[in-house]
Amino acid sequence: MALQTFTAGQVLTAAQMTTLQTNAYNQTVSTKTASYVLVAADVGTRIVMNSASSTTITVNTSLFSAGDTLFLQNIGAGVCTVTAGTATVSSAGPLAIPQYGNGTLYFTSASAAIYFPTAVTIPTVSSALTYIAGGSISNTTSVNNCFSATYLNYKMVLNNLVSGTGAAVNIRMRASGSDNTSSVYSYINNGQNTATGGTLNLGVGQNLSLFQLGYSNQYANGMNLSIDFFAPFAATNTHYGPGVFWNDEINYAGIIGGVHKSTTSFDGFTIYPTSSTLTGTYKIYGYANS
Amino acid sequence: MTTPQITIHDVLTGEIITRDFNAAELAQLEADKAQAIKDAAAIKARQAARQAVLDKLGLTADEISALFG
Repeated sequence: MALQTFTAGQVLTAAQMTTLQTNAYNQTVSTKTASYVLVAADVGTRIVMNSASSTTITVNTSLFSAGDTLFLQNIGAGVCTVTAGTATVSSAGPLAIPQYGNGTLYFTSASAAIYFPTAVTIPTVSSALTYIAGGSISNTTSVNNCFSATYLNYKMVLNNLVSGTGAAVNIRMRASGSDNTSSVYSYINNGQNTATGGTLNLGVGQNLSLFQLGYSNQYANGMNLSIDFFAPFAATNTHYGPGVFWNDEINYAGIIGGVHKSTTSFDGFTIYPTSSTLTGTYKIYGYANS
Repeated sequence: MTTPQITIHDVLTGEIITRDFNAAELAQLEADKAQAIKDAAAIKARQAARQAVLDKLGLTADEISALFG
């Protein structure tokens, strides 16, 4: 029931009393299917917006008094925005009411109102690092279609790599199901013994046909590595590094890095031992572009 | 002799297959082995050259490490 002024001598009917009581317990609902400009009779009622398209609720001056309150809600798919017409509308939160959102419009004077939103649009939280794929490594293992246009840069995590004695663990870039064996791989692979401080040049080379990751030398705990790949899918040189590795049994920690000098677009890689066997696991993540 | 095998993971389809090396992969494996032997020989030659210098100077490898870190 819209607000009205009762006058002296006027008879208050049972029907009016029932309506007043109903409004007290369940506010009078006024459903709007298009943008709406508030009128004085809306005071104390619930304005329900229901439109698939975006709508507005416009607030003008000289219609309401200090202390007047309206309840605004939106059940439509279109966002409804509380809009200051000739009146001032302040709010600490958003004036946009998403579907199933609501809020209270409270007037502090005939020309000013405060909108108190009780539902806000939650911003989408995007992860900086997205898991793409992972699995077991069993000897020569290829992974196809892990690099794509979705991400520019990738992180590769290799756990518990165990290869045979004297067998290096290598990686080749891969495109459309075939390894790239061109002699355009260059890399360094340098370590240092944490007990003795002695350096270990595991490998360095230019214009080779592979990236060498290191040696696990059959120890059960193997090697663990984290390597970034820069732009493997883009038609530009593919860089990798700074890879950090740790070999548990021989106390070596080190750093690796390199470049594949070609404009080939790669969608995968192959990890393999120079000889003998190789076990472990891999995980590939994509870095968000923005 | 057992033919080496390759395991291929396809991220798009989730398919994992394991098969014998094909002719091209076997040829590459042989080339890699030959290269590994050459690389090992090169490392050995570098180590021998280093040792020859150490011998000439009358220093041990540990003493060189102490000097140059």
